[in-house]
Amino acid sequence: MEAPPVTVMPVTGGTINMMEYLLQGSVLDQSMESLLHRLRGLCDNMEPESFADHELVYLLKGQQGNPFMLRARRSLLHPTAPWHLRYLGQPEVGDKSRHALVRNCVDVAASHSLPEFLNEMGFRMDHEFVAKGQVFRKGAMKVVVSKLLRVLATGNTENTEPLSLSYLVELSVLAPAGQDNVSEDMRSFAEQLKPLVHLEKIDPKRLM
Amino acid sequence: MFIFLSCWLCLRIECWRALNCRVNVTCIIRSYKSRGWCVCVLFGQQREEKQLEASLESLHARVAHLKGSLQSFIVKLETEHDRLTWPSVLDNFALLSGQLNTINKVLKNEKTPSYRSQVIIPLLLSPDRDEELLKLTEQRVPVFSHEIVPDHLRTKPDPEVEEQEKHLSAEAARIGPEVAQKQIQTLNKLCSSLLEKLNNPRDDRDSETSALRQNKPSFNPADTNALVAAVGFGKGLSKCRPPGSVPSGHPGQPMMSTGPTLQQVTIAGTTGHQAGMGGQGTQQQPGQPGTTFNDVHQHFYTQNHHVSCSCNDLILHVLFEQVKCPATSRLTSSLHPCILTTDELPAEMLHFVIQRLVYEAKMLICFVHFQ
Repeated sequence: MEAPPVTVMPVTGGTINMMEYLLQGSVLDQSMESLLHRLRGLCDNMEPESFADHELVYLLKGQQGNPFMLRARRSLLHPTAPWHLRYLGQPEVGDKSRHALVRNCVDVAASHSLPEFLNEMGFRMDHEFVAKGQVFRKGAMKVVVSKLLRVLATGNTENTEPLSLSYLVELSVLAPAGQDNVSEDMRSFAEQLKPLVHLEKIDPKRLM
Repeated sequence: MFIFLSCWLCLRIECWRALNCRVNVTCIIRSYKSRGWCVCVLFGQQREEKQLEASLESLHARVAHLKGSLQSFIVKLETEHDRLTWPSVLDNFALLSGQLNTINKVLKNEKTPSYRSQVIIPLLLSPDRDEELLKLTEQRVPVFSHEIVPDHLRTKPDPEVEEQEKHLSAEAARIGPEVAQKQIQTLNKLCSSLLEKLNNPRDDRDSETSALRQNKPSFNPADTNALVAAVGFGKGLSKCRPPGSVPSGHPGQPMMSTGPTLQQVTIAGTTGHQAGMGGQGTQQQPGQPGTTFNDVHQHFYTQNHHVSCSCNDLILHVLFEQVKCPATSRLTSSLHPCILTTDELPAEMLHFVIQRLVYEAKMLICFVHFQ
């Protein structure tokens, strides 16, 4: 076996910069049924997809600046499915008239040894939670209704308690940068869900 | 109808014509026959027959229309029930009610003779199949027999229904006309007030409903903020200690990768010292070997371990193996070099390569640095 060539230069570029457009809201547990019915009517006609995911958020604390955050997610319903690693950038401070939160988004799939790998890389798990809910699609738009559960013992996903009495509702679109009609479509869809749930652009920095 | 009499009864003709009554022809003929007069009946009976025929034909046509629209509605309900919208169902019902209305009008028309005076008597009942009957009834009635006569030639309602009707009319007769009138008036008043409310939307009615809705909100803004903060940066979720119990992985497939550069940095000895994993990965972690290694050793206890990660077009494999040092029976970890190839290597060959490397350089530590 001869040694195959190994390039020395690092690989750069070659991917499209995807942005995530996001609107968030919540709905109380008792109004969840009516929201599901409405979403079933508004969204594409398919069986609603349920999910139960365990998300671990890793932070890499550098010497200066903000820590670098990566989100690792695995499905509790499909244990053999690959892990999902996601990077979300800072929200773009564009014009205030844009209706949705826009941030850079990189998604990759990873094998099941992702947590050890991240640990070896120097990341530390900051927090984890379990999200259970349903996903709806309408064209390119994705509506995720999920219940967030706090993990009581680290790593033990059986022992969880709900974080609040509401479900988190997120409307998101993955699109290349610079498409503003996406946020218009999202806003008109969000109008149809009022007054059950108010989907709006929530700046996470404001809540810190 | 009029009866044309001979001679001295001519005067009477005018009378009969004037009366224009629908007296049964047969009894008049009988009475005149008893006086020995011959009576001929012209026109009148034929006109009534013609009227009967015409009205029956128009009724038949209307009923056929109704049957057609009912059939199409049933077919629609059976085949398209998941795509049907309420307004189209309402349209169908409106069509049916319109057709029933026209049938009612036809029946109430003054030109229509009273069907109650007509009687249909079956003259012949037989259990044999009748092709003519099949054709007439669109294959629904094959035999004109004793079973179908009570259903098809029925003129009175069911005995139970008749009982109920009798009860109701007895009840109505019992309460007396004044009470009945008062009840009718209250019903009319209720209906008209309801109609008025429905027809005139008022502003205070809208404010009522909005106030009602505010009492039962469907979302809580505080909850929204809490959930978004939890998802965004973990507010409210317990902070974790460094690596907790993470699930152990299993070997992935060796695949090609390009890009990362290999730099061999240090070689350390293994004289009973827990070292070796120092700084693998990034250079941003110079000072915490202790905690890392302890935990790592707990998890990867004498196991070949294989970590793989894929990122767009870069796939990286890191193999490391724990070796028990015989001298001190302490566990050490050794890191095998990353296998970077542009071709796909089968698993066995990779294993062979690993073994070879282990044999040749036991304490080889590589830094992987990639951008």
